[in-house]
Amino acid sequence: MSAWLADSSGKLPRVAIVGGGPGGLFTAWHLEQRTAVPLSLTIFEATARLGGKVCTASFASADIQYEAGAAELYDYSPVDVDPLRELVQQLGLPTVAIGGSAVFVAGRSIANLDDLGDVGGASARREFANFDIRSRSAMTPADFYESGSDHAGDAVAAGRFEPALDGIGCGKARRYVDVMIHSDLATEAGETSCGYGLQNYLMNDPAYMQLYRIPGGNEQLMQAVAGRLAADVRLNAAVTAVGTGPNGALQLQFRSGERHLVEDFDTVILALPMDALKRVRFTDTALADAMRQHVEHHDHPAHYLRVSVLLDRPVPVLPGDDAYVMLDAFGGTCLYVESACDPCATNGVLGWLIGGTAAVEMASLTDDALVATVLDSLPPPLAICRDRVMEARVHRWTNAVSALPGGWSRLPVDRRHRPSRAHSRFFVVGDYLYDSTLNGVLDSAEHVAGWVVAEHASGPGTMLMDRDRATMEALQ
Amino acid sequence: MIVTDHDEPRDAGRIPAGLPADASLRRVPLACNEELLMLIVPLPDGNDGESAPNPVRITETVTAWAAEVDPRDFTSLPVITVPLYGCHVVWKPGQAAVVGPVSRLELLTTALSDFASCEGELRQLEQRCVDLVATVEEDAPHAFEFEGRAVSRRGTLASRFREAVAVRGRLAVLAPAAHAPPVHPPTLASQLGERLRDRTRLAERHEFAVDRAELAERLYEACGQRISEFGIAQRQMALEWAIVVLLVIQTALLVVDLLSRGAAT
Ligand SMILES: Cc1cc2nc3c(=O)[nH]c(=O)nc-3n(C[C@H](O)[C@H](O)[C@H](O)COP(=O)(O)OP(=O)(O)OC[C@H]3O[C@@H](n4cnc5c(N)ncnc54)[C@H](O)[C@@H]3O)c2cc1C
Repeated sequence: MSAWLADSSGKLPRVAIVGGGPGGLFTAWHLEQRTAVPLSLTIFEATARLGGKVCTASFASADIQYEAGAAELYDYSPVDVDPLRELVQQLGLPTVAIGGSAVFVAGRSIANLDDLGDVGGASARREFANFDIRSRSAMTPADFYESGSDHAGDAVAAGRFEPALDGIGCGKARRYVDVMIHSDLATEAGETSCGYGLQNYLMNDPAYMQLYRIPGGNEQLMQAVAGRLAADVRLNAAVTAVGTGPNGALQLQFRSGERHLVEDFDTVILALPMDALKRVRFTDTALADAMRQHVEHHDHPAHYLRVSVLLDRPVPVLPGDDAYVMLDAFGGTCLYVESACDPCATNGVLGWLIGGTAAVEMASLTDDALVATVLDSLPPPLAICRDRVMEARVHRWTNAVSALPGGWSRLPVDRRHRPSRAHSRFFVVGDYLYDSTLNGVLDSAEHVAGWVVAEHASGPGTMLMDRDRATMEALQ
Repeated sequence: MIVTDHDEPRDAGRIPAGLPADASLRRVPLACNEELLMLIVPLPDGNDGESAPNPVRITETVTAWAAEVDPRDFTSLPVITVPLYGCHVVWKPGQAAVVGPVSRLELLTTALSDFASCEGELRQLEQRCVDLVATVEEDAPHAFEFEGRAVSRRGTLASRFREAVAVRGRLAVLAPAAHAPPVHPPTLASQLGERLRDRTRLAERHEFAVDRAELAERLYEACGQRISEFGIAQRQMALEWAIVVLLVIQTALLVVDLLSRGAAT
């Protein structure tokens, strides 16, 4: 733990975190964990709640919850240390493993090689097995684990995923893989990188990764983190612009109710997803330039649409005791049986996660039309649920997540997080800098928190402003 | 049709009413020297379990069959039901039912008997561990000090040590099956094996059994050392006494010699 040093006037460094989603909260958590004294830490959140896209909502007709955003957490601990898993444990939150093997193609469940053999014959089985071998030799569990870091052999840069899929010579086997990974990609397989596509296929292998969720709602993770923070949290405070003030400090302009306010900070961390980042103005020319380049490099929007349905009685057990199935509807969709892990459930909850182009196209439908459309996609074992719907909720997440396109390469980790060299106390945190997951945004937050603490603790009792640092760097 | 290797005197051997006519019973000998009574209910091929002649009733019937009949009095494990992609498997020690399309039955019954062999052997080893641990308390003092009056127990201790080593050995052989990682891409057989292992907590039970066997092995090893130390001490004492006796004899002879010389002069 490093000592946090006050400047010569005895004031604590003022740190602003913009965004009260996982990125912002994890950054605040790590900052507070790493410093010995209280910080002058302020979190700006545009809405009335913390947690961002980790959002456990309730139905109106019964006090029953569903996941409106992130529904599953990824556990890398079979391979190496998993900071997210450790954090969940440290916070004392219960977890339950989830899984699902069944992929419904043309109304038929393919849950294993035997089913695939039945559907597509020996050639489908062989082609799929070969694709699996190729995938696993292209990316070992260790490569998978390292995929966001600087040490990673940059599989993301290794071109598009489509040729890898085209290598599957049998149409039925290819369709099976397409459907299996589509909703995790949140984009089309042809528009993603080889590395990201492989990751989304290999995540089905427990040797690479396992899935879990927090009973009672994943948002509890965000609440548990937020509840332990000493930071000043400003809700309904949307940051509109960032610039530099006359004294060299970073200046935030934000709306608080009807008022437009300005406040100076020594360090600013933007923990925003790409769509929100694009709406922030940068009044300093150099910073605006750097951020334009940052956005240009990282802006690869992907889309989700979530439809959640409350049923008047529990859902029939899925074949295989699974918590979700993949459907070939809407280009490949994940259907979660959210009530599956609760033996005492009085009602059933189904949740469709539609991704990519279909999510954009369907977002323009009315809620009622959307609900009717998704109910039509129910696979045979769940078809009886159609007549048991009590209430439905729709959440449109258009442009809200990021894709990793083929041919695109990641910047070195430091450059990702500090877009402007001239503004050494201005950082960004985001899942889009890694793999668009909570694990990724936690890595990002940890990196920036460590850096900020090191920066502030490095001076001999004083804190250098950007201007002074530039002078010092020039003199050295 | 009822396929049985021999006539079944008890209800366990009867196919419950309400199942399709081609349901059959099979007695499968397991590698662990037990038998598995398997009720096999074929469904028409290509069936996902949904449109079969009332699959829910079939699975309820076979579950009730497994829950009621208890031919070997294995009461420690409850009946485990595994719905599995168009198939349904019910299992408890000594008894199982498989409901599924004809083309899957062979796979499922093979996977089931592989699992049952492994579980059966583990259950037997667990029982041997329980017996061993019961003797550990009684024998523990000999691991610290071995006394002469316990000499008669040497044979018993040695045979218990042999038993502990044998149990450890079998547990080591069983380890790969008990701790097998999930197979990917999965097959129906691997999925059944994984779910049964998971639901019967095979890996954890195996670990506990290893711990117990290790405890017994370490204790009886220590007993062995104390016994051998005792043996060495006994031999040393005998040697010392032999030397004393020899010295006494030598002294006596010397005295006799001196006396006889004195008499001569
Ligand atoms: C439908 C869906 C399913 C997902 N499923 C998974 C999953 O299963 N597993 C997984 O790991 N990840 C999943 N994700 C991704 C995961 O939700 C993100 O990785 C994570 O939420 C990113 O956190 P963040 O803080 O960067 O962004 P966000 O969660 O978007 O949080 C940003 C916060 O900033 C606030 N904000 C925006 N603009 C401003 C402003 N100008 N001023 C102040 N505050 C502002 C927002 O209100 C929000 O609270 C899913 C995402 C979606 C949409």
